[in-house]
This record gives sequence, C-alpha cells and structure tokens, in this order.
Amino acid sequence: MFKLFKKDLTLFFHDQRSVILTFLLPVILITLFAFAYGSIGAYNGRSEPVKLLVSDLDQTRSSKEIIYKIDSLEDIRVILSDSIKCKELVIKGKYPCALIIYKGFQDSLEAGKATPVELVYDRSREMEIGILQQNLISTLMSSTGEIIVKKSIEKYLHDQFPDIDKSASDNILKTAIIQDNNKLEIKWTSIVGIKNNIKLGMIQAVAGTAILMLLFSMAGVGTSILEEKENGTINRLLYSPLKGSTILYGKMLFAFFISILQLTVMFLFAWLIFNMDLSINIPALILMIIATAFAVSSLGIFLAALAKTRRQAQNLSTIIILIMSAIGGSMIPLFIMPAILQKIALLSVNYWGIQGFYDIFWRTLPLEAILPKILILMSIGVFLTLASIRLFKKRIMKL
Amino acid sequence: MITVRSVSKSFGNIDAVKNVSFTIDKGEIFGILGPNGAGKSTIVNILNTLVKADKGDVIIDGVNTKNDGDTLKLMMGVVPQEIALYEELSAYENMMFWGGLYNIPKPELKMNVNKTLEIVDLVNRKNDRIKTFSGGMKRRVNIACALLHNPRILVLDEPTVGVDPQNRNHIFEVIERLNNEGMTIIYTTHYMEEAERFCDKIAIIDVGRIIAQGTLKELREISDVRDLLTIKLADVNSETINRLTSENPLLRFDNASGSLKVECGNINNDIQIIMNHVQNAGGVIERIYTQGTNLESIYLKLTGKELRD
Repeated sequence: MFKLFKKDLTLFFHDQRSVILTFLLPVILITLFAFAYGSIGAYNGRSEPVKLLVSDLDQTRSSKEIIYKIDSLEDIRVILSDSIKCKELVIKGKYPCALIIYKGFQDSLEAGKATPVELVYDRSREMEIGILQQNLISTLMSSTGEIIVKKSIEKYLHDQFPDIDKSASDNILKTAIIQDNNKLEIKWTSIVGIKNNIKLGMIQAVAGTAILMLLFSMAGVGTSILEEKENGTINRLLYSPLKGSTILYGKMLFAFFISILQLTVMFLFAWLIFNMDLSINIPALILMIIATAFAVSSLGIFLAALAKTRRQAQNLSTIIILIMSAIGGSMIPLFIMPAILQKIALLSVNYWGIQGFYDIFWRTLPLEAILPKILILMSIGVFLTLASIRLFKKRIMKL
Repeated sequence: MITVRSVSKSFGNIDAVKNVSFTIDKGEIFGILGPNGAGKSTIVNILNTLVKADKGDVIIDGVNTKNDGDTLKLMMGVVPQEIALYEELSAYENMMFWGGLYNIPKPELKMNVNKTLEIVDLVNRKNDRIKTFSGGMKRRVNIACALLHNPRILVLDEPTVGVDPQNRNHIFEVIERLNNEGMTIIYTTHYMEEAERFCDKIAIIDVGRIIAQGTLKELREISDVRDLLTIKLADVNSETINRLTSENPLLRFDNASGSLKVECGNINNDIQIIMNHVQNAGGVIERIYTQGTNLESIYLKLTGKELRD
C-alpha cells in the first residue's frame, strides 16, 4: 500500500499542473475572497464608515444639529453637497445614498408636523444602506424627538408660567430631556468573535475556498483510478501479487494525505499573509483538518466509484461539487442564504467543515463543543469509504 | 509445464472462451493466434488468475490456479496489450515501482532493473520520462517491467501492436534471447509472420474456440493447405491448354490471367516435373510464380476468413 502511495506522491509532484491546481489556485482564490468578504464581521472601528451625502436646504439650527449628530456616528461619514449634485452622485454610483433635508424642516418639527426629509439611494447597494438605516433612523428619531419635546416643554412653561426665570426654565428643559433620553437606551454588545482579531469574512474565505478546492482536488484523485483503469495500469497492478483492495487503500491513503497537506497549506497561507491566528485552539484545528480531509477525500473517491468512465466521473464530480459548495456555504456565506437553503446545507460536507472552522476561529468554542461536527465529518468519511470499496470491487476491479 | 483443460468463460451472454484446451512444455514459445476479440486476452487473464474460468482447469507446474493464485503470480510475468506505464515517471522509476510490487529486496531489484534495461537496450534513456519515449521504446519498457521478478513464464499479449519494424525486430530479439535462456513464453498475436517466426506451437483461436493447434508442420497437415504453382504461358494456344488439362486434371487454366495453376504437396519436388510436362505438350513458359504454404493460408483455409488488424 505504501509503495502505491509513494508512487502516487511522486506522480503528483512530477505533474506541475496538479501541484498548481492543488496549492496555487486555492491560494489565489482565498486571497480574492478574503478581500471580497474581508469586512464582514470586522470588529469595532476597523471597517470603513459608510459615506452619506447630505444636502441641507433648511440651513436652520435644528437641521445643522441633526447633521452634526449623524456625522459624529462611528459608522457614518457625512459629506455635504447641494441636492442636485447629491442625486447625481448617487445615480453615478459614487455614493450609496443621500439625505436631503428640505426647507421648512425646523418649522415642521416645531409645529409637530411631518418633517420634509428624504433619503435617495441606490437599491443595488443594500448592504451599505442597511448599516445606514440602523444608525440613521435611531439618530433622526432621537434628535427630532428631543427637539419636539423641548419645544413642547418650552410652550407649556411659557403658557402656564409666563414669569418663570430663564435659568430655571433651561434647567427644567435640560433635566427633562436627559431623563427622556435615558428611558429607551439599548446597549449593543457583540459577544461573538471578540476574543480574537480574525474577521468572519476571512474565516469564510479560507475555510470555504479551501474545502471547495479540496473537493476538486480529491475528485481529481478519484478520477485518476479510472484513468489507471483506462490506460491499463490497474490491470497490471492486479497481475502482481497485490490485492484489489490494497490498490484502493493505497489511493485512499494518498487522497487523505494530499487533503491534509492542502488544508494545512491553506491555513498556513492565511496565517502568513492575513495574520490569521491559528493558535486559538490547535488540537481542535488539527482534528478538524483531519476530519475534513477524511470526509472530502472519501467523497472524491466515492464520486469516481459512481462513474464508469473518466469523463463521466469528471462531469459528475463537477456538478455535485458545485451544487454542494453553493448550498454548503463555500461560495456564498451561509448566513445570507434563505432559511430553507440553510437547512439543505446540512447535507453537504462543506457545511460541517466550514461551521467547524467557524467554531474554532469565530466562536472560539472549546474542543468538546466542536467534537460533534468532527464526528459527523468522520462518519461521512467512513460511510463513503465503505460505499466506495463496495462500488470499486463491483465496477472498477472487475475485468 | 502448463496444462489448460476444457476452459470456458462467459461475460453475460457472450462466450469469450469456449472449451479451450492446450499444453505448453517448458522452454517453449506458444503462440495464440487470432483476430481482435477472439478471446486471446481472456485466456491470458485466466492463466494469470485475474479472471476465474467458469469451467475447466489451468495447471501450471502441477499447481491448479484455482488453489494458489498468489504463487503463480510470482512465477509469471505478464506484458499487457496496453502500454501500462506511468508516463510522468522515468523508465527507471517505473521499473523500480513495478518490480517493487513483488517484494524483491531493493539491492536485488536495482540489479535486476539495470540488467533488464540492458536486455531491452534502454540503459542510456533510463532516467528519461516515459512520455518522451517513442511507441517502440515504451513497448520495450512495458516488456522490461514484466521481467524484474525473474519469472519462469512470460506472457506477452500482443506486444508489437503499433510498433515500427525496427523496434519490432528489437522486441523479437529480446523474446528469442529470453527463450534461449530457458523462459517459457506465451505469445498472443494477430500477426501471422510473428507467430510463424518463433512460435514452437501455435493455437489458432476464433470466436473463443481453438480451431487448430500444433507446430506449423502439424497445422499444414491439419488444414491440408498445398503450395500453389502458377505458370504464365508466352502464347496461349487452346489446343495446348486442352491437351495439358486433360492429361493432368490437377492443372487448371485461369482465363483472366492466362496462366496455368496447380496445387502441389511439395513445390520443390514437383516444380521440375510440371515444367517438363508443360514444355512436352508444346507450351512456352514465360514466367513461373510459387506460393508456399504459410500460416495465412492455413488460417484462411481453417476459418474461411482473412486475419486483419
């Protein structure tokens, strides 16, 4: 078995195309995805603030006060411009949206009428709009609410106590507004992913891409069995004292080894280039790499066992890998998928692998909490290995 | 040394081999001749225990292949019809790998590899990758890989398919050399001249059955194929022709070619007698053609069809 393993390893490293596809291509893809997903889950203050164009046509104390409050928000940077230019810049795609405060804003506020404020936006940039929505609405609500409350109290004091002292009136207003603001304050605290400096997007890029590419590599290894059958080397191996099962175990050992190597290289790359901290839970990381490698390599061999010819195996593998990776979260982060797809994802190897790596790097769970996912991956591996042996004996080794 | 007794093998509804029997003596070159799909490779796989016969026995050196396939695999070297080598590995790496499967100690294996590279005349290319080799050179490495565990029996399944004449001769020399060293060789081919060149015994197989077997001489007798003598006359005179054909009923006149034709038991003995007979009858001989009995004519006679690629 080790002779076959050694032979396959030599063949692998002699074939530059295989080496490039196994290591270089995933590294390039991880880099691309890391930049694409990079900001997702970034910890406080590390993501770029969303730029908000603001046109103040009212030019009153109230409108200026609100603009100041919005600008002081961490996630929003205000850029002032006139209303026509604001709309033009949004249409051109330079900015996701613009807030236009029309003339009569302060008067409407004081009169308790609907305020003439409009947010013009580009629908294609919903993620940025979402961040704005959350911050903008709460700021506008609290600021306009404050102005309305202030005006109501001022009017009440003026009507009921026309002779009240100015400083006494100001103190009453100040106290009333502070008490009012304190009533509805919600404290927002992120409790996941704060123990480390790794972005969620980075974990998604590394784990998702690594598993996707691993599936393709392993399908290639599986297909090589059919290639050997087609070029006669399997028969020649069977002419020797080797048993058919030994030939298959040799291939599986090679697939398993290359899987571990590929995953390890991918994580080392993320550590070297993106400073991904691999030391969070080393035992869990090692076990997850082994379990994922076992499940994925078994799947690669199984896909080859299902096919009769190399061409059939290639087509079948491509279809199954792409579908599984799409629903399993390798291509698109699972959390942005509909609930039904998130349930279907449980059927994919990608899901268990990616979630296991999330548990290690994002949720920083202890090994005991990650073990169920490791066991599920190992069980998938055992099941697919047994099925492959059965199929191979029936189809491939049969002369 | 090898006895194949009433062996049959079917794949689904197809009878790949039906009731095949033959014996091969030690040191003999036994040829299995037949067209593609005749069942030659199935016989090879049955001999090597890769395929189990549905019926019959294969006994090699007193051991029934049904009982001890592993021992027999060590005794036998098989050269498959395909070039079953790893193109990305060098000739040396391939040979070390294939030889290594027989658990030969490494120093001994290295020695065998070098010796075999000499036999197939590829010492100077041993470190080149197979993908850089010509078809003929690949065939030679294909043979070499089957010799590394010093088998007593070598089975060659169509070893010269797609090989140029120069490399083909090289392969023949290798086979003859191995045979001279005492190796028993089983050689399947659909090339008549190859079987004729060095096979001590030949089995002619068609549609899974052995039609005839024996030495070339025995096959000639079985098939009753005779040599053909063709005499082209300078002047075709109907009176002379009539006289000749009536006096000797074995002579027949072919109008299309304007020649006299006669089948003889032994062309060397009969040629002078027939020439005298024609001349005495007034015939003027312009040219004489002879066609001796060969495997092709025997095959044609026995199967009623020509053997083609």
